[in-house]
Amino acid sequence: MKSALFGKVFLHELRVLIADRTLLLVGSLLVALVLYGFYNGYQETLQREHAAQELAKKQADKHAENITTLRALLGGEQKPDPFANPFDPASVGGGMEMRYATLPTLALSPLAFGQSDMLPNYYKVTDRSKASFMYDTEIENPWNLLSGHFDITFVLVYLFPLIIFALSYNLLTVEREQGTLRMLLSQPLSLAILVAGKLLVRALPVLLIMAVLPLLLLGVLRPQLFQADQLPAVLGWLGLVLAYGGFWFALALLVNIIGRSSATNALALMAAWVLFVLVIPVVLNIVVGLLSPAPSRIELATKTRLITIEGLNRYHDKLSSDYRFTQDPEVLLPRDGKIEVAPRRQAQFLIQRDVDKEIQRVLNEFSTQLAVQQMLVERFGWISPAIVTYEGMAAIAGNGAARYLEFQQQVDRFHERWKEYFEPRLLNSIAMTEQDYAEMPHFEWAEVPVQVSGILKRLLLLVIPALIVIAFAIRRMRRFSVV
Amino acid sequence: MLKTIQLDKHFGSHQALKAISIDVKPGEIYCLLGANGAGKTTLINLFLNFLQPTGGQVLVNGRDVQQYPLESKRDIAYIPELVMLYGVLSGLENLEYFAALATGEKLPRDKLLSLLQGAGLDATAADRRVSTYSKGMRQKVGIAIAMAKNAKALLLDEPTSGLDPKAANEFSQLLTKAKDSGVAVLTTTHDLFHAKQTGTRIGIMRRGELLTELNSADVSHSELESLYLQYMEA
Repeated sequence: MKSALFGKVFLHELRVLIADRTLLLVGSLLVALVLYGFYNGYQETLQREHAAQELAKKQADKHAENITTLRALLGGEQKPDPFANPFDPASVGGGMEMRYATLPTLALSPLAFGQSDMLPNYYKVTDRSKASFMYDTEIENPWNLLSGHFDITFVLVYLFPLIIFALSYNLLTVEREQGTLRMLLSQPLSLAILVAGKLLVRALPVLLIMAVLPLLLLGVLRPQLFQADQLPAVLGWLGLVLAYGGFWFALALLVNIIGRSSATNALALMAAWVLFVLVIPVVLNIVVGLLSPAPSRIELATKTRLITIEGLNRYHDKLSSDYRFTQDPEVLLPRDGKIEVAPRRQAQFLIQRDVDKEIQRVLNEFSTQLAVQQMLVERFGWISPAIVTYEGMAAIAGNGAARYLEFQQQVDRFHERWKEYFEPRLLNSIAMTEQDYAEMPHFEWAEVPVQVSGILKRLLLLVIPALIVIAFAIRRMRRFSVV
Repeated sequence: MLKTIQLDKHFGSHQALKAISIDVKPGEIYCLLGANGAGKTTLINLFLNFLQPTGGQVLVNGRDVQQYPLESKRDIAYIPELVMLYGVLSGLENLEYFAALATGEKLPRDKLLSLLQGAGLDATAADRRVSTYSKGMRQKVGIAIAMAKNAKALLLDEPTSGLDPKAANEFSQLLTKAKDSGVAVLTTTHDLFHAKQTGTRIGIMRRGELLTELNSADVSHSELESLYLQYMEA
């Protein structure tokens, strides 16, 4: 009997929503927003992937060019260039050969920009100090909701609640105001079933569009979505959309149960939206900034300069030596596996090495600050479902703060390997051979799999508040006034 | 069938009903007379469990409506003073929905049409959107909804308001037919003539109190009128 009544309410509401075109209007608006958001995210991802391909090609071209030059020089067909000498480890490690370390995109990358527009997706690694390539851009608060791009996650976090409000802010109150509620509840129909039917008929289509449409588009455009290892991310996406949407529907339910008039409901829901989506994230942003302020970039720059000046003094002898090739061009070619690396260039390498060593403390401060900020967001983010969802989506899309931090660390370790490879050759004047070119270290990104426990935790952080709101609404239902 | 025992209802400091005890038996049409604000609609709302009594009891078919809200609503059909429907749907679709909620089953189209016809709605209007209906036409759909339920009791709040005299007369006939088949009818009205004509018993209310009850067979129309005015002026 109960389920039969529920079905009747559901079908009737569907009929009304279709007849008054609400469903058509709201549905097509949501579809348009989702399509636009997806288009933006997809374009951005394509650009990133295109850039990564270009960089890989540039690296390969340069490599091939170096090998060609090396062979030409060995054959005596060409004269060596002192500053781009393929035998000279100082030239090779310092930029003739370079490694573009790129962070690959994931299957779900088009769904959320996350940190991708604020933190670099690639670094050019040479034997120069990491201060020169890793920290040359402004280090921002990694979590910055305000820089909202119009991606799917923006549609979900910011606009989807408004769509939900449009459908359900006056779910019950309009029936009371129209007088149909008396007609309905004079029948053997409980308020709970009526409300459940009305809610579900509104929730189903919009949740379906929001959750499934982006995945359908992804499935068509990015077949890697169907790989087994993407399953947690796909399920995570579905779960987060349903839970986040569920939270706002629960809130709409509550205000309808409490509210006296539709206008009051609309106001209350907008207030909740402003609080959860705008105010709390901004306040948390400010608080996180205050609790964990960014280390001084001036200190980093000053320190780098001071170490460089000290180095200029320390390696004065090497630096003041002349370039021998001006008198003796023969030194530019290898002899018995040796090549004369200009002392000046050795000194430059050593200065960069010292910079790396000395600024480590300052760089650690940056890392600590990022970690503390991330920790604070994790600890207090639950206050707003918007933050939980935003962070969760970025993580699933592979554009979350954690993955970018890991990328930075992997690049850092690779940079060390690169320098370790060149240091003995450079300081001991060992000539580079074609064999060496084949064996030089390559950057290989070790993927961090999407953490199922992280997704589950975020889901709980959305589902628990939603359930609390629903429980409260059910408690208030007894006091609901029909007249 | 429709019974109240020492029923009190307060809205804050205002006492809307004072110790009302009525009992409408199957086969009776009980007409509640009274000026605006006498508490007639409050009484109806209490029967529908839309309001909770401050004191006393409301029983439908022997069951307390607060304890058995759904069961008691299965026994009552209700027509409000203003029948409000879904404007974007047709009269037939509205009837279909409410009848389905009332009976738990989907009624076939010809059954729905005959119900609408029985309530006096023009057959051509059945498939038009209710937003184009007049108040009287909506009232007729409301009557059809109530009739579809085949309930043991009818609760009517000024049911004939907005009906033209012919329709009101047809409605009176429907009520008499329901009475004859053993339905208990409680109706509020301002219409003394209607009360005398169709009612079997008449109660007069003023400011939340039931002043008197009488059998309509025992009074003439003019006696009822003078009695009513006498109570109102006192």
